[in-house]
Amino acid sequence: MTTISLQGVGVSRGIAIGKVHIIERNQQDIVELHLDDKMIEQEIARFRIAVSLARQQLRSAREHIPQDTPDDISAFIDTHLLMLNDTTLTKEPISLIREHKCNAEWALKLQRDCLIAVFDEMDDPYLRTRKDDVDHVVQRIQRILLDQGLKPHETPDSRLHDYIVLADDLTPADTVLMQHQGIAAFLTEHGGPTSHTAILARSLGIPSIVGLRRALRYVHEDDQLIVDANEGVVLINPGEAILSHYRQRHIEQVRYNANLIRIKEAPAITLDGVEIILQANIELQNDYETVKKVGAKGVGLYRTEYLYMNREYPPDEEEHYQTYCKVMQVLGDIPVTLRTLDLGADKTIDDGHDTPPLASNPALGLRGIRLCLKEPKLLEPQLRAILRASAKGPLRMMIPMLSNLQEVRQVLSILAGIKQEFLQKGIPFNPDLKVGGMIEVPVAAICADKFAQILDFLSIGTNDLIQYSIAIDRVNDEVNYLYDPLHPAILKLIHMTIKAGQQHNTPVAMCGEMAGDVKFVRLLLGLGLREFSVHPASLLEIKRIINESRIAELEERAMAILDASDSIQSNQLLEQLNS
Amino acid sequence: MIEREVEIINKLGLHARAAARLVKVSSNFYSEIKITRNDRTINAKSIMGVMMLAAGKGSFVTLIADGVDERLAIEELTMLIKNRFGEPE
Repeated sequence: MTTISLQGVGVSRGIAIGKVHIIERNQQDIVELHLDDKMIEQEIARFRIAVSLARQQLRSAREHIPQDTPDDISAFIDTHLLMLNDTTLTKEPISLIREHKCNAEWALKLQRDCLIAVFDEMDDPYLRTRKDDVDHVVQRIQRILLDQGLKPHETPDSRLHDYIVLADDLTPADTVLMQHQGIAAFLTEHGGPTSHTAILARSLGIPSIVGLRRALRYVHEDDQLIVDANEGVVLINPGEAILSHYRQRHIEQVRYNANLIRIKEAPAITLDGVEIILQANIELQNDYETVKKVGAKGVGLYRTEYLYMNREYPPDEEEHYQTYCKVMQVLGDIPVTLRTLDLGADKTIDDGHDTPPLASNPALGLRGIRLCLKEPKLLEPQLRAILRASAKGPLRMMIPMLSNLQEVRQVLSILAGIKQEFLQKGIPFNPDLKVGGMIEVPVAAICADKFAQILDFLSIGTNDLIQYSIAIDRVNDEVNYLYDPLHPAILKLIHMTIKAGQQHNTPVAMCGEMAGDVKFVRLLLGLGLREFSVHPASLLEIKRIINESRIAELEERAMAILDASDSIQSNQLLEQLNS
Repeated sequence: MIEREVEIINKLGLHARAAARLVKVSSNFYSEIKITRNDRTINAKSIMGVMMLAAGKGSFVTLIADGVDERLAIEELTMLIKNRFGEPE
């Protein structure tokens, strides 16, 4: 038997080996039956029971949601519950069963096709894709009718323990329900690094690969799989030789992870004695615990977007203030770098699907600091709360999406006004609150020396820097093969920013995905980076690499990668650097 | 019976979550509430109906409430739409 390998995007690191369980949603085989008159009422009863079981499943998912789950995940479950109470799905199929004397599955399919046709005609691309919601709900009922559904009382389902789960896409409810079932890995055909599956898998530390196109065509139920989420590779029914190689790697990984926790308290310092500031990123509230578990000495990126998601009105000053005080209290007074609101672009529509762009190109639109300066009611309460909280602990603030100095000056002048008011009213704040900026727009990297002169610190956001520099939309599958952190121009922009910081004595950190990728640690050290902020799940691994590196040996070789003429050469040089 | 025309101004239009919110608010009233857009009239208490209106940003919808609390219903629904369903943009 030949081994087939599939390539996707690894979104949560690790290796898993095991049997696969496929959650199939699309193209369920619907049997079309004509029924005797006397069967009709029985069929209707069967349909009613299926709908009510589907509701029970979702209610149970709703109850099992851990408190720290992002609000938008629970909001989707609520929406699906409302749909299960809607007559178009609960009553119409019953009329169809009567009218056509057909089985429930067929009637539901007829009704589904009818609803989907309406969605397909919509002009608005975002609304058009909402037919996914209809499909998720319809398929939940179909699965119960076909008796494929998990029974609500069996959750958590122990049958899935140690299984690798493969689906075209996972609904928020699926992800929540499966999170405590001991699943070995999550694989999906669709979705990107910001989908629900990706976010939850990372938080739970379960290996996960998304974007495995057409995987369902090659993988069959109970096939044995090797999942290498470090490389984004899945191997189907591997031979004994490959299997034993990966078993070995899996054991090494488990041992490695067990050893890692021992360096929790150790400082991040290179073999030649250079101290590196290694901090954690916080994305969701469940990350607090991981931050503490890995002993992070600071938070280099505290994202505040979740405060704004899914609610009637933006949070007021008091809510901001209470949240920030609580974060500092829970984390025990380690320094926290808070990023002001960075909404816009993809973040408002993160529903786990490959949604076509809304505006012709939202990533280039009104987002980050641009939106905040246009809508002061979003920014001002946040700034006031940050200032108040700065009296309570070591807090810094950071401005996202800067493209010119005017934006910095505007924020600083709003801050100065608030400080003035606080002084008069006797409200305590830290007069020396450090204000930094994200370097993620290419023009800001090129003019980093100017930013370094008026800001207290800089932080390089690589995800956006790469997408803007190479002019590729990361969620667009057609072009994301061009996404390349090793592109010489990207490395030059990073290097320029670091040098500009050194020149003006302004610390430069990196908080994008590149900083947390083990492949790039040595390269970045060689380019002069001394502050890393990474997802807490990979913090100890990064620390281990730092502790085993000697900067004096890296500088020259890093500069050679910066000068590479193509990606084959730069990859070779990088491999040598890491070996 | 009261009618009022309102413009949908939130960026994503009446997508699933906004539709859910609209249905929840509508369901709090005794009045019969309908929404009309482009000659299509739906029941505002049905999520599928509201989603299938396909009302994107910039489209105009007519709210029609009929019942004891019709005035309050129209006011609250107008507020909800004008507040972009609580979404930031």
